[in-house]
Formats: sequence, C-alpha cells, structure tokens
Amino acid sequence: MIGIEGHYEVKLGPLPTLTGKPTHYCAGCEHGTLTRLIAYALHELDLRERTVLVDSVGCSVLAHEYLNVDAIQSPHGRAPAVMTGIKRMRPDLLVFAVQGDGDAVSIGLSELIYAANRGEPITVFLVNNGIYGMTGGQMAPTTPEGMVTMTSPHGRDIATTGAPIDASKLLATFEAPAYVKRVLLPVTPTPATDFYNARGSIEGARSVRNAFRVQEMGGFSFVEFVSTCNVNWKMSILKSKQYATEVLAKVFPPGLFKDKFGVEKR
Amino acid sequence: MTTARDFLKGNEALAYGALRTGLNAFFGYPITPSSEIPETLAVEYGNPQYPAFKVFLQAASEIEAINMVIGAAATGAKVMAATSGPGFSLKQEGISFAAGMELPMLIVDVNRGGPGLGNLGPEQSDYFQATKGGGHGGYRTIVLAPSSVPEMASFPSLAFSLAFQYRTPVIILTDAFLGQLKEDLMFPEVPAPEFDTSWATTGARGPVRHVISSMHLDLPELSRHSEHLRSKFEEVDRREQRSEKFDTDDADIVLVAYGICARLCQRAVGALRAKGVRAGLLRPITLSPFPKGELAAFVERGVQKFLVVELNTGQMLQDVQLATGGRARIGSLQRVGGLFPSPSEIVREVEVMAR
Amino acid sequence: MKIETILAGHGGQGVLELANWLAYFNLVRGRHVAYTPSYGPETRGGKVKCFVVSSDERIDSPIVEDPDILVVMNRPSLDFLPLLKAGGTLLVNSSLVKEGARRDDVTVVEVPATEIAGGLREYSPEKGKDTAIAANSVMFGACLAVSGENLRAEIEGIREVFTHFLTGRKAGYIPLNVKAVEEGFEHVTRARSAAPPPKGSVPLPRPAP
Repeated sequence: MIGIEGHYEVKLGPLPTLTGKPTHYCAGCEHGTLTRLIAYALHELDLRERTVLVDSVGCSVLAHEYLNVDAIQSPHGRAPAVMTGIKRMRPDLLVFAVQGDGDAVSIGLSELIYAANRGEPITVFLVNNGIYGMTGGQMAPTTPEGMVTMTSPHGRDIATTGAPIDASKLLATFEAPAYVKRVLLPVTPTPATDFYNARGSIEGARSVRNAFRVQEMGGFSFVEFVSTCNVNWKMSILKSKQYATEVLAKVFPPGLFKDKFGVEKR
Repeated sequence: MTTARDFLKGNEALAYGALRTGLNAFFGYPITPSSEIPETLAVEYGNPQYPAFKVFLQAASEIEAINMVIGAAATGAKVMAATSGPGFSLKQEGISFAAGMELPMLIVDVNRGGPGLGNLGPEQSDYFQATKGGGHGGYRTIVLAPSSVPEMASFPSLAFSLAFQYRTPVIILTDAFLGQLKEDLMFPEVPAPEFDTSWATTGARGPVRHVISSMHLDLPELSRHSEHLRSKFEEVDRREQRSEKFDTDDADIVLVAYGICARLCQRAVGALRAKGVRAGLLRPITLSPFPKGELAAFVERGVQKFLVVELNTGQMLQDVQLATGGRARIGSLQRVGGLFPSPSEIVREVEVMAR
Repeated sequence: MKIETILAGHGGQGVLELANWLAYFNLVRGRHVAYTPSYGPETRGGKVKCFVVSSDERIDSPIVEDPDILVVMNRPSLDFLPLLKAGGTLLVNSSLVKEGARRDDVTVVEVPATEIAGGLREYSPEKGKDTAIAANSVMFGACLAVSGENLRAEIEGIREVFTHFLTGRKAGYIPLNVKAVEEGFEHVTRARSAAPPPKGSVPLPRPAP
C-alpha cells in the first residue's frame, strides 16, 4: 500500500498554464512530468499572468512551447543571469527556469553560483540525469564514475575528469539561498514486480510549489530533480528507473539542504 | 554634477548622458579603460535626480553582465553595459542572441589595444568586430562613433532612440583616448523619451503571451526571420547613415576618419588649406550603417583621392574601398599599439598623396 | 583666440592637477577647453606629459604638437623644449631645473616654484607641514600671469577652480593654494617688468574680456 502525504488532487487534462501541445520529450523522460508539475503549481497559485519563464539550452529549450506563459530564451547556461535582469527590473514578476545538468553545472555554473550567492528571488529547477541529452549523450559534470557516455566511451575516469559535482550541496554552502532541495523524480521500482513507487512525483509537486512560494517570499529557490535519460543511457525505460534509484540517487541522495523560511514544515 | 557647463572626461560624460536620458539598468564588469562608466553610475545610483535608474549591478563576469542586460531588456527597460577589448569579445554571444531576439539595448565598447590582452592605449581595432557583427550568425547592429566629450554625452540618447525604434542592440564604439579626454560640455534640458514596449515579456495577459526567442527550428521559419532582420537593417541603412563633413565642398582629397582620428584630421585639414591644398574630412558618425551615400556622392562629384586615417591595420579602409567602388585612389594611414598620428604627420601623408 | 599648453614633470608633482585647474579656469571664463592626460611612451618611468587647449572656438585636435606655452616642472621635461613654438613661453620650475632652460627665440620665465611653495607653511591647515607640494599652484599663478590675466579681476575665478577640485577634507587646502597662485603670479609679473623680451618674440594674444 502506498502512503500519500496530504491530499493531492490530480488534475488530468488541459490547464490554462499548458498550451496543450504534445511535448517532444522522449518516452520515459521526466521533463514531461516536471512540465506538468510546474503548470499545475502556476495554475494553483494563480501565477500565470505574473510569470516569465526563461528557457535554457538543453532538452528544456522548448519549454515555452508547452507552458502557456510569457517566455524568453537564454543562451546556454545563462538563465540565472537573464532571470536576474528580469527580476531586478520587475520584482513583481515570478521568474523561473528549467535547466539541465550541462546548462546549470557546466557552462552556467558561475551564473548559477552568483545568482544563488546574491540570493536573487528567482527559481531554478535543475533536471539532473547525469548526461547531455539534447546533444546526444556526452559526459556531464554530474555523470557518475564509470558511466559510459559518448565522450567517456570507457566509462568516466575520475582521475582525469574529476568527480561528479553536487549542485545542491554546493549551493547550500552559501548563506543566501532560501530553499535548496533534491528530489528523486522518477518512479522507483518496488520489490513487487510491475509495481512502481510514484512518491517522486508527489514530492516533486510539493517542491515545485514550495519553490515558487519561497520566491514570492523573497528568497532564492533551487530544486534538483534527479531524473533519467533512458535514450542516452542506452537502457530500457524501466531499466533507467532502476539505474536512477540504485546508482544516480546514491551519488545524489535526495534531501532538504536549506529551508530558511520553513516552507516544508507547513 | 550640477553646473550648467561641465568639465568631464568622456567616460563620465557618457554615464551622465545615459542617466539623463532615462537609463533604467546597468550591468557591468570592471575593465580598463571603461571602468569609470560603472563607477560613475555606482556613485549616482539612488540620486533622486535620476529616478528612472532602478538597477545597478556589478556582475561576476562579462558574460553574466550581458545576460542580465538581456533579461532586463526583455521587460522593455532601457539597459546598458560597458566594456572594452576582451570583455567585448565575451559579450558577442549575448549580442548575437539579443539581435536575433530583437531586444533594444546599449553596449559601449571602449576600444583599447589588442588583440588578446593588448594594452590600455587607444585603438580602433574593434571596428570589424563591432560593425560586421562579432557574434555568430547573420545580424547587424547600429554602431555609433562619438568623437568628442559632448558627443559621448549625447549619444546614449540617440542610441536608445534607435535601439527602440528598430528593436536592435546599439553599440557605441569609442576608445581609450576619448574615455579619458576632458572637455567642456553642456547637457541639454530634454525630457527622457518613452518608447513602445508592447512586445515585452512582463506576464501573460489572458490568452495573449509573448515569447522572445531567437530559436526557429523550422527552416523556412528561420529563413523568414532572418529575411526580416535583413530588411530591417536595409531600412536602417536607407534612413540612418550619419556623418559630418568639413571643407569637402571643393575638396580634391577627402580624409575619412572617426573618433579621435577625426579631431586630428580636422586640424590637419586646417593646416592643409592654409598651404593651399584642397583637403576635406568626412567623419562617419554611424559606422554601421556606414555612410556609403556620402562617399558615393564624392566619387560622383569627381573626388579621386581619399585618405583613411585609423588606429588599426586597415579596417574601415575596406568599407571606404567598397563604397567608392574602385573608382578612386584610397590611401591608408594606420597606427596601432595605442599610438596615434600627429596632425603634421597626417598633413605630410596628404601632401604626398596630393602630388 | 587659442592657447595650446604642454605641461610636463614627474609623477607626484601634481602636473595633471595643474593642467585640470588651467583648463577649468578657462572653462569658467566661457572658453572651450580640452585636457588630455599623459599618453605614450613618455608615461613610463613616472613621467607625466599632458595637454591643455583653450579656445574661443570649438577645439579640433586636443593633441598639442607645437605649444604656445610649455610648463616644465623637472629637469628631464626640458627634453620637450624643441616643441615650443618660436615666440612661445617656457615656464620652468627653477627650484629643480638649474640649467639648460635656454632658447633664443622663446621667452623663458624661471619660477622657483618649489621654494616659493615651501615658504607658505603658515597657510597650510596642518601647521608646520611642508608645503612644497603646492609648487604646482605657484606654477598655476605663473601660467595665468603669462597668459595676460589680471589677477585682481580673476581671484574669484581661481577660488572657484579650487572649490571645484578640492572638496571634502581637501577643502582645507584652498587658502594655501590660492596664496600659492598669488605668489606665482606676483613673481612672474615682477620678473617680466624687470627683463626685456627676447629678440623676435611675439607677445601672447590677450584673452577677450
């Protein structure tokens, strides 16, 4: 029996915050899940007409095609800087971005760190699947040791490429960020065959809502969603959920790293 | 700054000019010789004399700064960044994105010695980069070249007008000399203009939402967008070529120079005229769109000789060659490394050409 | 009317300040001015060489090749003497430049600026502190005298210059600097009435009132 905390009305079907366009995301990808969680939170909190989405570069580059809000595209890695520009000029707007691990932790790490360190009241959702998805499966800063990718064909060698970077722990070392959370988003296998635990989606929904609430309260919010990329991991969808649970979640354990405003307690 | 007639260095004049025309936000990173611009703005931030100036932020890098500019510009604000050499290079991706997204903004490049780290002397070696587009893809921006401290003060206003009218980044290309030169100037009492920003991303309104993007994955769609950018620049080319002429009505030889070189050439023209040499000066004010019309008119009138004086190894020279269509002799006086030719050296060069 | 001036010395002598004061003084009197700080190879080794142009018309080149006035604050800056226009004026800090300030076709005005400044301790806000640093203000006075200014009429203009530049804590130094200007001015006026001008020298144009 699966326990559900709280009461979550599952809304299937169209939302004003969704354009209704079928997504391009691969079957088995959590981007689609996250898109709906965001759409639902924006709708529930009545934020649509105050929201600006900043597209990043990666699989979420087309996010504005699915989320029915004002949107501006950012160059690769620069979303936190673009968001800062918007929010500083218009503190009344809700500004957020969905970034991949390459976008946020590789080319954009400096922009992410400085926005977090300044405590900009913006929201970053990091979809961490340990690989570069959009560009065809190259190694990412979050690729676990030994994982085979297009640019680490013999498995990632820590000695020459360094160890995976833990963005949540890194941002939590700064004083300013108000909400830093890591969620294991995919469904996870249970001992029973063909039964998967969807706690990740529920936790994800809660975290997205909390992240927006923290921004409204004036804080920097960051949620890292440990996710899958079955296509580039070269696994079946179900296998990828297993890999995420057994490998990726061990390198990046879920947790609440910062909650300055105590939103999780409410 | 409260006196009606001020005595300011170029960089300060530019900062005050931007403030007086309603600058909303500045994002920058210190780099010599442009740092006085953010320093002046930092001091004046919060001054009730400039109520529109809402945001001053020193970014962690040149890249972070240009992307903050993009974000603020997307809300319809008047936004500026200032940099030099290596920083201008780092901003090119952002400028390409901004041009593709048709975002108005003002980027100031204080040209110093290059390439690489170079030195802190004045050069005009960023000409290609600024006018041909130093970023990837097919786009053009408007490039203004001040040649005096009063122009450093008045060009931000002109820049924002053009930027919002044509929805494009505008670059003010100045140099280390003009940045430090101090001259007298007067600030005109003109109200800061307001522009149409109905395209901005400031939250959806009912069914209407704005997406500002330079990505057009559909090939015909990108083709249409690029054609649109091109025809927009063709209109800019038709309507916004700006230049100033000195003593060119009966000139046999026309000097072509911008920025500090134009001032030196002005002196040289005076000296040449005193010696009976019929020399004149064409000073481009817009480097992009280049004042091709004036050059073509000179050739039409029968001017056979031009001397391009610039602080690089021959960049504007090419635009002059193009504009005169091989129908005149184009001389080139070049100096680099932060050195510049004296007016008497220019006079000698013209005398040689005039023979 | 246009006056082009080159000022040279070494770092720390206040040459750039002096150039700024000269420029601002002319600006206050309604002229166009251009000030160019040190440029080029001369700036290595702590050398300072700058330009001031003041004119009734808009100024073309701010670069000065053949100045009407050359201000030399230290010995190595005499190297610029060949640049001075025939009939021009050399103002030299004779406290530090003991010899070599000679050219037959220019007016040479020797001003023991460092010594004159040193004698003004009583005007310093920090009583007893050495005031030789005000040598540049002495030279300011000398420049004004050489340009044909009337000190009595312009003392307020001089105060305005120092009020503009010496703000905050530095405002305490205004009296010292104004006195130094007066001393420099008086020194040149006395010396000029004593010595005849050299052969073939052209008097500097008087500024319009």
